[in-house]
Amino acid sequence: MIELHERTRRISASRLEEILRGYGCTSVVDPFMGLPTHLNYFKRHGFAVHGGDLVEWFVRAGEGLVVNDFTVLRDNEVAEIVEMLPGRIYALDLFKAWEGVFFTEEQCIYLGVWHDNVRNLRSDGQTGLAIFGLWNVLCYWLQKAQYPDDMRDLPPSELAWNYIRKTERWVTSNLRRNTVRQADVLTTISAQTADALFLAPPARNSFRSADARIWMWEAWWQGNPYYNIEHSYRDSLFGQRSADEQGYARAIAGVLSNARDYPVVILQTSEQRLHEFEPHMRNARPHVEILAPHSHEVYLIGTK
Amino acid sequence: MSLTEGSGPSSSPGSVALGEVLTFFGMVADYAAGCAPEEGERVSSLAVAMAKIADLSQEDRDALYFAARLRNIGALGNAAFAKGEALSDREIVMLGWDVPADGARLCESIGALPEGTADMVRWQAECWDGTGYPDQLRWAGIPATAQLLNIAQAYVRTTDPEESLSAITLESGCSFAPEQVRTFIMWFHTYGGEIESVAPPYAALESERTTPVEIIERLSELVDAHNATPQRAARVARRAEEIGKHLRFDAETLRQVRLASLLFGIGELRALQAESMQFDPLARLGIDTRAENAVTAARLIAQCPQLADLAPVVRARAEWYDGTGRPDGLRHDAIPQAAHALAVSLSFDAVDEAYRSRITEERALPLVRLETAAGTQFDPAVVRALADVVKARA
Repeated sequence: MIELHERTRRISASRLEEILRGYGCTSVVDPFMGLPTHLNYFKRHGFAVHGGDLVEWFVRAGEGLVVNDFTVLRDNEVAEIVEMLPGRIYALDLFKAWEGVFFTEEQCIYLGVWHDNVRNLRSDGQTGLAIFGLWNVLCYWLQKAQYPDDMRDLPPSELAWNYIRKTERWVTSNLRRNTVRQADVLTTISAQTADALFLAPPARNSFRSADARIWMWEAWWQGNPYYNIEHSYRDSLFGQRSADEQGYARAIAGVLSNARDYPVVILQTSEQRLHEFEPHMRNARPHVEILAPHSHEVYLIGTK
Repeated sequence: MSLTEGSGPSSSPGSVALGEVLTFFGMVADYAAGCAPEEGERVSSLAVAMAKIADLSQEDRDALYFAARLRNIGALGNAAFAKGEALSDREIVMLGWDVPADGARLCESIGALPEGTADMVRWQAECWDGTGYPDQLRWAGIPATAQLLNIAQAYVRTTDPEESLSAITLESGCSFAPEQVRTFIMWFHTYGGEIESVAPPYAALESERTTPVEIIERLSELVDAHNATPQRAARVARRAEEIGKHLRFDAETLRQVRLASLLFGIGELRALQAESMQFDPLARLGIDTRAENAVTAARLIAQCPQLADLAPVVRARAEWYDGTGRPDGLRHDAIPQAAHALAVSLSFDAVDEAYRSRITEERALPLVRLETAAGTQFDPAVVRALADVVKARA
């Protein structure tokens, strides 16, 4: 059975919103975006948001939840995603490598079908919504392997339908320009201007132990079950170049130095890792405030 | 219902008073959010019972109790529930997603609450699979206490326990964490689905950090925001108190005047419109909703032991001096003194507001309009006192 991380990164968008409003910010950039749900929250509350990530499916999901203002999926369009369409030829063995290891034969077939169907959608917004919705199905299956007796057996198409429908209710407009990009942290920081920069930096070498629910979905999107997510981080600032402690410290200092034009920088970390970031923030910013609602949710806020 | 659990260390009078007012705050919010009157007690009792089965610490259980009581306070003033411009169904749903976070902010501002209460309120509607709100947290990112609160709400909202058991079990791994669903099932089979009331852990409150009056003032601000009558209660209370002092009311009656003025608005929370024109001859014919709102407010207030003496005052605020008012047709001295002061201050505020905002073509001063009703709607002595107070201020 695949091992799933017990603790995943918690980003409380509602708490961050309070912090951002406290500093009078109305726009925010997140170059380590990950799942774009927090940016969707900010967008819903009127902030202009800009995200960046190296993993393509995060960016695609961002196109559905962050960039997309109006597009949703009609019932017939969801049906065209979740089921095998007559007359279309599918590569049913695309994810056969996962069969019996992570998923059942039926699940692997559906993964292949959905991969093809999603790639044939008409707009980036719809594609993003479908990717995010179907990712929830993948998570459901993986969690069910952990709790076989607690979770229901549901037909794949029903699960997919439910989760896509639940995803698209988050679509909203804030009458502002919101963007996502597939780019390294420094590119995103320099390509955008905003009132605040939000950073939730990955731990040192965390790309080597990426959560299965993340790397598997990138592999699904790429259509390659053998895909290695380390490729996404190759030659990036927080990839191989920050494998050692000094390299990691240099990378953090570099990010904060490049963020000098942002009036406010908010770095989220934990009490345990605070010492890795605090000296760099104090070097980069004259005023630093620390908010610590929990030991695993600490905000280091640097202002000019 | 019997009390099944002691509240740990004995509660001081201060913490009991604060606890009862906080419970009242939660009950008013439940009313605004459209919940049944006993829902708060049932949710808090069930959540705490499950937390005990899950072997959570006493501190967590105390915080969970208050989080369950205050879970809807974010609904007060939330545009999805409040009076204001008409919203589409989608807008109402989206604004409703802010209720937990707004509630958490309010909880954070109440220093007396046990640590962790605000976060339980904030994450009470998060789903284990990441489809909840406000933060779309998932898996272990959602505290177990918040999950238990979510399950308790789902259970209490359904009338048939067996149906509820089935619905919650089916949501295992979706809305609810499998571990917490197991805890719920264990509770269900141990207690046969019957919720036993728990004793409120008032001793866990740090009563020196917040006073009951501060809570009532905060509540009245929120009620005014909800009713789209900003700052009305504060204005009415200030003027009613001045009238009371002018008439040499004793300290207890002055207290009643002030608190009843701050709280009468809770009766309007579910009314379609706020009572913007309090001074209206139609009231005598029973055409307006004033008396109905007064009865509702009095019913809610009567449930709080700390405030129960205000219920007759609030109930009588729509009575007429000559006995032709509603709801009970009281006259002269049968109407509490504090209610006379409240009625005059409130009506003056409405007429004054209408005059200032030019809603009416009426050119006469608001005071003159009230004076015409002295002896019929209002106690003449109280109207004279109002005239003195207003003239002294001018």
